[in-house]
Amino acid sequence: MNVPKKMKLFFLFTIVVTLLLSACSSSDTNGEKAEDGKVKLRFATWDVGDDVELQQGLIDEFNAKNSDIEVVLEAYGGDYDTKITAGIGAKDAPDIMYMWNYPQYKDALEPLDSYIKDRGEEYKSNFYEALWNYNSVGEDIYGLPVGYTTHVVYYNKDLFDAAGLEYPQAGWTWEDLQAAAKKLTNKDKKITGFAFPGQPDPYDFEMYLWGNGASYVDNKGKLDGNLNSKKSIETFTMFQNMLEEGTAITTEGWGDTEMKSGKVGMFINGAWYLSAFTEAGINYGVVEIPAFGNNPSASIVSSSGIAMSKDSKHKEAAFKFMEFWTGEQANKARLSFELPVLKSVVESEKLQEDPIKKVFYNMLEQSEGYTPTSFVTEDWSKLSDELSLVFEQIFNPSTRVDPKEALNSVAK
Amino acid sequence: MFTKKNKPKKFTLVRKRVPFLFILPWIIGFIVFTLGPLVFSLIMSLFDWPIAGETKFIGFDNFKTMFTADPQFYDSLVITLKFALIFVPLNLLVALVLALLITQPIKGIKIFRTIFYLPAVVSGVAVSIIWGWMFNSEYGVLNYILSLLGIEGPDWLIDPKWAIITIVIASAWGVGTMMLIFYTDIKGIPYEMYEAASIDGAGPIRQFISITIPTITPTILFNVITSVIAALQQLTLVLLLTGGGPLKSTYFYGLFVYNNAFKHHELGYASANAWFMFIIILLLTMLIFKSSSAWVFYEAEVKKERKGRKRK
Amino acid sequence: MKITRKHKIIVYSILVLFSLYFLFPFIWAFITAIKSEAEVFSFPPKFVPDVPLLSNFIDAWNSQPFGTYFKNSMIVTVLTTIGQLISCSLVAYGFARYDFKYKNILFMLLLSTMMIPWDVTMIPLYMEFNMFGWINTLKPLIVPAFFGSAYNIFLLRQFLMNIPKDLENAARIDGANEFQIFYKIFLPIMKAPLTLIAVLNIILVWNDYLGPLIYLNDQSKYTMALGLASFQGVHELQIIPIMAMTLVMIIPPVIVFAFAQKYIVEGISGSIK
Repeated sequence: MNVPKKMKLFFLFTIVVTLLLSACSSSDTNGEKAEDGKVKLRFATWDVGDDVELQQGLIDEFNAKNSDIEVVLEAYGGDYDTKITAGIGAKDAPDIMYMWNYPQYKDALEPLDSYIKDRGEEYKSNFYEALWNYNSVGEDIYGLPVGYTTHVVYYNKDLFDAAGLEYPQAGWTWEDLQAAAKKLTNKDKKITGFAFPGQPDPYDFEMYLWGNGASYVDNKGKLDGNLNSKKSIETFTMFQNMLEEGTAITTEGWGDTEMKSGKVGMFINGAWYLSAFTEAGINYGVVEIPAFGNNPSASIVSSSGIAMSKDSKHKEAAFKFMEFWTGEQANKARLSFELPVLKSVVESEKLQEDPIKKVFYNMLEQSEGYTPTSFVTEDWSKLSDELSLVFEQIFNPSTRVDPKEALNSVAK
Repeated sequence: MFTKKNKPKKFTLVRKRVPFLFILPWIIGFIVFTLGPLVFSLIMSLFDWPIAGETKFIGFDNFKTMFTADPQFYDSLVITLKFALIFVPLNLLVALVLALLITQPIKGIKIFRTIFYLPAVVSGVAVSIIWGWMFNSEYGVLNYILSLLGIEGPDWLIDPKWAIITIVIASAWGVGTMMLIFYTDIKGIPYEMYEAASIDGAGPIRQFISITIPTITPTILFNVITSVIAALQQLTLVLLLTGGGPLKSTYFYGLFVYNNAFKHHELGYASANAWFMFIIILLLTMLIFKSSSAWVFYEAEVKKERKGRKRK
Repeated sequence: MKITRKHKIIVYSILVLFSLYFLFPFIWAFITAIKSEAEVFSFPPKFVPDVPLLSNFIDAWNSQPFGTYFKNSMIVTVLTTIGQLISCSLVAYGFARYDFKYKNILFMLLLSTMMIPWDVTMIPLYMEFNMFGWINTLKPLIVPAFFGSAYNIFLLRQFLMNIPKDLENAARIDGANEFQIFYKIFLPIMKAPLTLIAVLNIILVWNDYLGPLIYLNDQSKYTMALGLASFQGVHELQIIPIMAMTLVMIIPPVIVFAFAQKYIVEGISGSIK
């Protein structure tokens, strides 16, 4: 009785040891790779799915051409921020990281001004001017622009046709939008004219204030007199009124789910949903954000750039890769899911003639010169939380606070 | 093996060391993987500690800010306690009822057992995605089904009154684990005990109260403590399903700590928050443990007591 | 127990009612998983897709190296389960069946490790694993399991406390040493709770998301749970593959549970006899 039991135990033990060994050995081989004389660079991306595959293809190309460098792609997906925060906090950040929220991470990043200067003025001026703003904090540039999106109005052509409405055109106003929303709305069919997030991201929402000649803060970062200015209150009131009239609904997420149901006439967001809406069978068009009277509308730029970790041990090699990643060839390779940021590529690919893509570039040109509050104020992440709550109070059906009161409560 | 002379001496020596040999793995693990990080986080709580850049010693300022200058701290604490008060008893009750149901000797019970356990197999991430998908008030399937029945469904994730209930519904879905623990224990009760009681004329309810409940008190204690901890630390669901909203009505303490660390990048402050919650849970657990001597009956201890009495 | 007809009807209707709550999300996930992109979001929702696309499951599986993820998840799950079973049975036995100095303090300490909020020890722990050179390997996910977990130890201890004391005393008089008592007498008795722990651990580790997210960097090391989460981008959720892979991912744990049921059903007292 004793022997077989011991045999069993021995058997179990061997399994454990082999599995442990296999778990360890697989990691060891990975460590060796870096020691064959190559510089190993870690590159973190937030993209998912097919985009990652495409990026890996580009990286393979780079690695093949540069025998002394090996770039390893690390795709963190939706929890990108958690992952890089942990890495930075533990002093183990990737060498190169996708980045948009520069003010939040700037202490961990390498300023790039000197690297850019070395490449000459022409190198810098080929990027859209407005984008450098979004990849800098104060006077220092921390990232190279990779892609961007401005926000535009997506509209459901089928619903417009059914209501006998003309498609909206550039230069239209919020009054036009409201009128269209009213005609589109059909309670029996559960169709609503317009939809926007019930918990809007304060970073995004500021663009509506810009369009009306207001903003959260002045250039000194002061809220009072700006966030609660007459123009600002007017903007919030307009959105609230659309909800009260029932010509708009608030969405629970960004609003893409609601738009995909085919029951929402118009919704405003970035270029992320172009292919998703097509796949969902929505016959849509895009148009510039409407204007307040004669004031041209503006859009926030959701930019993506790549930044270098301050602790990177191979900064020259890292910049070499960053240059490749933001170069013409790479811009063209990512055309399927990203709007190029290089003027030369936009020209050669004739994007200004593309009926959909040109709208995003028009919005970009209209939005030059605006700086989001997140780049001005010291502690945006806290302020953003406060603003977000107040916006919600204004739009949530169970509160629907008067905008003036709500905005005053934060500003003062 | 032992000569009669040295046996007692060696025996006591061995007996003194033996228990420590048994718990040695945990002690090593605790020292290597837990103690260090724990002390480190305590030190962090005394610093202004951003994820990158200069750290600065600030004494107890983080705690001071928390208690005096951050209303969100109190709000989150209250919401979390409220959630625990609803969640813990409800979950225990449902788990116990289900455990009893699946011990019923009826046809097809194996299938029901699996069905009830199934959700506990799903990851927290997937749970929030599945429920979020169904809860959408405008175009979600739940409210659509309710509307077919002529009921106007609530704005699950928009109405602050409903949001916490939404979280309870989604989190109670995974009650299977607790059910299984109860079930394992209930199944262990010898059938003869029920038979004897049944001969004495005790009905099923009587049997449940006088046999089942007392025998499973150790597992009840286990489930109470672990579900209190789980409730007070709930993060995944609020992070992914509600994001703390609507109107911060589900801004649980776990989310408060998480956001301070990963959104605002204040690691020192987050450590202070976490240490406070750690101590609260520790005190609560000790309280429950203290009370347990009055209502938890261990077979091993009962026997010992009886023997002790006999000797006297 | 005698079961009357009335009793039966009541029990069945309660069972069915609960089943609805537990099962419906799965049914809806399945319906979603076999829809086309256009059908998924259409309103009113369709309960039967025009053309059920079972190929969605294959597409989802092939869209990422799920074969590799599956292998990694298996390695981590099997090894941690073995580690937990060995370490937890020893430690729980020590706490449940002996009296020793500082026992209560040590046990409280053990319990307290369950209460440590994950957020704050994560970064120091990351630094430690980084020092060991364990980042981007499966080791941080596996090795700690060989030192027990408070949850499992606590659970096992509760079961062990409920076994009469006479058992080991009799064996001691027969001359068995302490380890023999544990190994020959108690281990067989613990079959049901150990199976339970194995099941719980398998599910926990199989689904663990934050651990792999923090400690693993490149795709060749990823686990199933990370792969599932990769369908969720910052701006968009790919609902069809998420639902499909969620359903695929529950298959292994369900199989384990189906086999384990038998042992759990026996209960502890069953094996004492």
